[in-house]
Amino acid sequence: MAKYRDITVTDSPPEASGAALPRSNATSTPPAALPLVTLNDLLWLLYLYPIRLLASVLPRWFLYAIGKLSDPIAQFEARRPKAWAAAWIEKACRTTPAQARRISSQSLSNTMFRTLDGLLLLRPSYCKMLRCTGLDGIEHLESAIGRGKGVVLLTGHFCANRVALRYLASQGHAALSVHGRQPRNRAQGRLGKLFDPLSTQLLERANPDQIYIQNPDCSLTILRRLRAGGLVALQIDGHRWGTGQVFLGLPWGIRSGIFEIVRLSDCAVVPMLCLGRSSGFRIRFDPMLDIQRASSRETFMSANLPRFLGIVEKQILENPTEWRLWNHW
Amino acid sequence: MARIRRVFIDSLHLNLGEEDFSFETKLDESAGLDSVAVLEFVTALEREFGITFEPEMLTINVVRDLQALTAYVDRRTARRERAAEEDPA
Repeated sequence: MAKYRDITVTDSPPEASGAALPRSNATSTPPAALPLVTLNDLLWLLYLYPIRLLASVLPRWFLYAIGKLSDPIAQFEARRPKAWAAAWIEKACRTTPAQARRISSQSLSNTMFRTLDGLLLLRPSYCKMLRCTGLDGIEHLESAIGRGKGVVLLTGHFCANRVALRYLASQGHAALSVHGRQPRNRAQGRLGKLFDPLSTQLLERANPDQIYIQNPDCSLTILRRLRAGGLVALQIDGHRWGTGQVFLGLPWGIRSGIFEIVRLSDCAVVPMLCLGRSSGFRIRFDPMLDIQRASSRETFMSANLPRFLGIVEKQILENPTEWRLWNHW
Repeated sequence: MARIRRVFIDSLHLNLGEEDFSFETKLDESAGLDSVAVLEFVTALEREFGITFEPEMLTINVVRDLQALTAYVDRRTARRERAAEEDPA
């Protein structure tokens, strides 16, 4: 099943890096040239209507059974981005081709279960559906909150982020989640485009405490939250424009502006890692980072950004099947 | 007002004279490209005037209205000065 595409990355990292990877399906197609219906559209149609309606009453195991049944179709539908991802994973994770293909497939399955979990979060009684099996390092979070200048939770695009953030909110640690608006899904046809408003609406309902980077009020909203001593979750690994960095072996555009907020607000930064799905997930907080303060954006970025990226890269390499951007292109 | 326009130009590194631009248009343009520009402007204002924006005033609607922003900065500055006079220590 297709996944929410809430962050973009550079379109052609393999070419840019000179790496010998297969080409992804990252070509831009004018709307008029789109097919009327794609397999991706049909999967979305099922997700947004019958499955969404059933999800409000059916038990989780039934929903997950639907996920398991539709997994082969989703894997087939995503075969091109998966082939591209497997070559990338092989290099980034220094693993065998077979293991890389397994990681790519598992990442896609986990992304699909994340999408199904999104439906569970729409239930009024969603809290009962969230089963946290481990919360490590909460003392690090509490110590960072104790500084009184707000906390940025540093993480990557992991499948469990959304359920973990809703769980944390239910425990009194609400975090504002920062996203980019969804670009056009390249597997989408003209029928699929009609679903965009509803899928965006569902995404926002699944986690109401979020803001889009494209919102002109974004940075001030983040600052408000931080100055109130609150939490802001930043996924730093999926942006398209910005400072050029190397990430997972590819040139990467990091939207460095968002870290200007860290510099200007003097908030704490705590790495967070969320793994699993709603039926069982773990959250880990690492000790607060020792941020190198600087008077200019450039100095601050060169002193801190590589470390921020290194932390997220390590999280991904240790848990590659839980990262959902491998098959994103 | 002129001082605020100057802070705006300096904080966003704009190559403009103080009088030859529309504040609202330019701010919308900058915020549209990167909302961090607004944050840089607000924190530059706070440094320049020695004030802290109240949370409810940290919105784009307040910041893009130059007259309202000037009135707010004046109020906060006056309040800061009064507080300094009452408690010199």
